[in-house]
Amino acid sequence: MSPARTPEQTMELLARESRWRRGPVPDALGGTTVPPGHRFVHEGKFLLRCESGYGYLYVPGEGVTIERPEGADPDEEGLWLTGTVYCAIACLNGLLPIHASAVVAGGAVHAFTGPSGAGKSTLVAALGTLGLPMFCDDTLVLDLADPARILCLPGHKRLKLTDHALALTGARAEAPVGADTGKHYAAPPGGDHARPLPLAQLVFLEDDDNPDGEPRWEPIAGAERFARLADDHYTQELYREAMRPTRVEQFALRARIAAQVAMARLVRPRNSDRFAASAALVADRLRNWE
Amino acid sequence: MNDVLKKAEDRFNETAIDDEVVVMNLDSGDFFSLTGTAGSIWQLIDGSRDRAAVLAALAAEYGVEPDEIAGDLDAFLAQLREAGLLTAG
Repeated sequence: MSPARTPEQTMELLARESRWRRGPVPDALGGTTVPPGHRFVHEGKFLLRCESGYGYLYVPGEGVTIERPEGADPDEEGLWLTGTVYCAIACLNGLLPIHASAVVAGGAVHAFTGPSGAGKSTLVAALGTLGLPMFCDDTLVLDLADPARILCLPGHKRLKLTDHALALTGARAEAPVGADTGKHYAAPPGGDHARPLPLAQLVFLEDDDNPDGEPRWEPIAGAERFARLADDHYTQELYREAMRPTRVEQFALRARIAAQVAMARLVRPRNSDRFAASAALVADRLRNWE
Repeated sequence: MNDVLKKAEDRFNETAIDDEVVVMNLDSGDFFSLTGTAGSIWQLIDGSRDRAAVLAALAAEYGVEPDEIAGDLDAFLAQLREAGLLTAG
């Protein structure tokens, strides 16, 4: 059990533990060989071997060692570091990363979740143009140390948008993301927020098959709140690998989030002509959040 | 059938969300969402009532004759037994 720490101390811990240096990375951990494309957790350490040849080893108190293979795409290095590796470090330090992008409204975090390509980043960028600052993109780290509320730690990733999302939102493109991701980094149009805040709600992004449908905001109640928490995928796998929670502990965690966090679904057509209307609907809901 | 109905307390975890109860079978990891009469029956199985007492309390709660809901109660109790959530007896 980790000793109690303030959210600010947790942010400092994460920053400290995710510091990196280059060096050789083994292909085994705790006697288990980790082939390319696999990862492994052993006694608080994390080893990731990427198919591209990149290797990452996290050791508590020592940070991350990165092995960059000859001829590798240098941009890939940071994507793994801020993605899977950062999530693993968070999990191994008692935090819960979830697959979500989020904005701030009314002094709390409103997070949008859904599978890759659901439009999380695009919506956050659009909400920025409507005056709501970004809290995080793609990964939201939850701090569960305070039993009375769930706190969010500010994002560590830069906003990434496709060309289509840039055009939809009017966000300003910065450098390209990697060699062939088809995305650019972008400045959050509404700025961003750098301090921990409580989590107000989780909003699940869903597609409406009717391209001319009106965007709908539907509160989620009852057991569905519990069930929907199974939607999140890769970060939960990492959490289970890192923390090895029992079924009882997993149940208690889901029950707690379901009890403490409001949930809703945003159902909207994936139709560019309707995008502004769905963003306006969300902004209205968040501004009137109580 | 006058045995007191008891939950297999070591076989499940439960949590209330809004007006529903979510129950997880610890052996299988399966989840059950109990709403309406199922949720009521689950609450009435408190270790002090037998089937007849549960039926009477349920009928009173919903304002119906016991005969009208006895079949539903038995079906649900059978499901709970099959899921291992009631002790034998």
